Amino acid sequence: MECAFEAQNLISISLRKIQSSRTQRGGIKLHKNLLVTYVLRNARQFYVSKNLQTQRTHQYEDVAAVRERQEYFELTGSLTELSDDFYCNFTGVESDTWQCGAHQHNGQPAEVAHQDASACAMLSTSDSDLMVSDACWSCADKSPWELPIQNAQANQKTVLDLDTHVVTTVTNGYFHSDCCAQSKQPQGAQCYAKKRKMDTSYHIVDPEFYLPDFGLVPCKRMRTDDELHSDSEQLDSTNISNLISVLGSGGLSEFVSWQQTDLEQIFAAQTICLKHTLLTGSGWTRAIEAF
Amino acid sequence: MAGVAGGNDFQWCFSQVKGAIDEDVAEADIISTVEFNYSGELLATGDKGGRVVIFQHEQESKNRPHLRGEYNVYSTFQSHEPEFDYLKSLEIEEKINKIRWLPQQNAAHFLLSTNDKTIKLWKISERDKRAEGYNLKDEDGRLRDPFRITSLRVPVLMPMDLMVEASPRRIFANAHTYHINSISVNSDHETYLSADDLRINLWHMEITDRSFNIVDIKPANMEELTEVITAAECHPHQCNVFVYSSSKGTIRLCDMRAAALCDRHSKFFEEPEDPSSRSFFSEIISSISDVKFSHSGRYMMTRDYLSVKVWDLNMENRPVETYQVHEYLRSKLCSLYENDCIFDKFECCWNGSDSAIMTGSYNNFFRMFDRNTRRDITLEASRESSKPRATLKPRKVSTGGKRKKDEISVDSLDFNKKILHTAWHPKDNVIAVAATNNLYIFQDKIN
Repeated sequence: MECAFEAQNLISISLRKIQSSRTQRGGIKLHKNLLVTYVLRNARQFYVSKNLQTQRTHQYEDVAAVRERQEYFELTGSLTELSDDFYCNFTGVESDTWQCGAHQHNGQPAEVAHQDASACAMLSTSDSDLMVSDACWSCADKSPWELPIQNAQANQKTVLDLDTHVVTTVTNGYFHSDCCAQSKQPQGAQCYAKKRKMDTSYHIVDPEFYLPDFGLVPCKRMRTDDELHSDSEQLDSTNISNLISVLGSGGLSEFVSWQQTDLEQIFAAQTICLKHTLLTGSGWTRAIEAF
Repeated sequence: MAGVAGGNDFQWCFSQVKGAIDEDVAEADIISTVEFNYSGELLATGDKGGRVVIFQHEQESKNRPHLRGEYNVYSTFQSHEPEFDYLKSLEIEEKINKIRWLPQQNAAHFLLSTNDKTIKLWKISERDKRAEGYNLKDEDGRLRDPFRITSLRVPVLMPMDLMVEASPRRIFANAHTYHINSISVNSDHETYLSADDLRINLWHMEITDRSFNIVDIKPANMEELTEVITAAECHPHQCNVFVYSSSKGTIRLCDMRAAALCDRHSKFFEEPEDPSSRSFFSEIISSISDVKFSHSGRYMMTRDYLSVKVWDLNMENRPVETYQVHEYLRSKLCSLYENDCIFDKFECCWNGSDSAIMTGSYNNFFRMFDRNTRRDITLEASRESSKPRATLKPRKVSTGGKRKKDEISVDSLDFNKKILHTAWHPKDNVIAVAATNNLYIFQDKIN
């Protein structure tokens, strides 16, 4: 699981680099940012493919439990599992079974049988920080680099808040204002992920780090009172004023446009349209959008 | 010419060091390019502050004929100033990215210097005489009253203290949208090319208001961009041939006779990637940071993050020689990505006879590889070993568990001390190594 953890770290580090490059003297370095996007792509592909493999043998929730939350959730099972998997494994500890604390209808953490370790053992025994073991590459008879990405849609974007340093998603203009990272201890079904700030040690990003390849409609998460309180503490003091797009849905169009257009024109051309009705007073001062 | 090192008849020793000794290094003083001229008499450096310093080789001392002369400051001038593009709200750095000398055709010296956007042609000339005895003005330059002139005289040239003047003769601007990374003087001595991330332009030395675009890899849809141009160089003898390297680790050789726009390469050099070494950073470490033709014109050398490769122009599918510069860093790529060191662009250079190559590394180490004996050596540019004529001791990085005496462990390397720019004298065994804000000059000691 360390490799998935490292992949998530790399994603957050890369987003930071892209953000900081915009304020560097001399303008945006096209070469460097292109290389950073490659790292982003590689990390994302690896993480997504790893979770795809996990989902194939993952035991799904009871259908009734899903219906119970239907009015609050618009996620598909795969996306839910993605967040669960992220959530369950954020400690980065390799384990044959893990405690999955989210989305259990009985409210108790359930042990989920880990899939075949030989198929998805991510712990590298080499000295390399990020070299993946051969077992990983052989997963599902295909390298994780090559596994197809499902349901790719361009209307979901992963965004880094420059003020709170929280990574979340914006989909079709709907801001997941209740996206938040769960605490490090796995909890029951009623306690959903809280926002987790990224500190300098690059903790795992928000478990609702929805990758656009899943292309699912946004959800309104059911929130606990604790979660609401936590959110208000984190977001009360911020106001959305700008959403800065770093990368388009698939490329570097913004870099070129920055070279040639005024920044205000870029702001005006943003595809993300924040629905203030959803924000309920919370917001960002600045955010960076990737993927 | 002697080889790299290691034999009984050849050793490198310290000659000079230029630059401040202060621990507090001003960013403007960081050397960003180093280049010998065609004869090796002059050595030019450019720094991040836009300044160019030229050193001249003094003749050997009669008292110590066994030692080569020293390089002393010949001229210093401000080549580029910071600018601001108001239309794009972008600041243009004054950092000198490259300096390239022109072949000397008269008493004056010419060089091209470039920052991210503008290339300038500078004339460096000496003045050791001045005219005295003007009729219309006094010796201090003030105009004389014409009515008080009663006789005419012929001005005479009188000797004066040597003065070296640098004057901008041409300014080639507004031709690059992206950041210029390379300039290269053509063998016809009339044209030169300049390359940025996506385009390469061909200029004539006399014409500043237009250039020919000869390579354009910008896609119609920038979302399809997959690679950028990282370096370009003209062939040393064939004025119609040039090469450019890419961030994908490929090199394209183009012939300007084939078409006006050289988007279709004549030769494509690429080594297949080893799938077993694939990592998150494969694209970064395969990006070529420098490409240099050999003096003979038969080979070219490329530098990527971990290695130097020598290519035969007649073989495109793989390099003929590969030298690992600091393979021990492969396991540290994640850390190097975090601290941005993985984006460092190391340069490489040939010696005059093409028998050896040199490139820099971290901890102020630089590496030399002898192509004939296949021996390599790691040396360090440091003040501690900067005693006159002191022989440089080979250094070694310990990669295993046990560290021998005088070895340095990988974890002890100082990644802030990096040698990105090196130059080798075109004829002699004299090398110039830029270590942050200091310029070290080493030469061989023939026993």
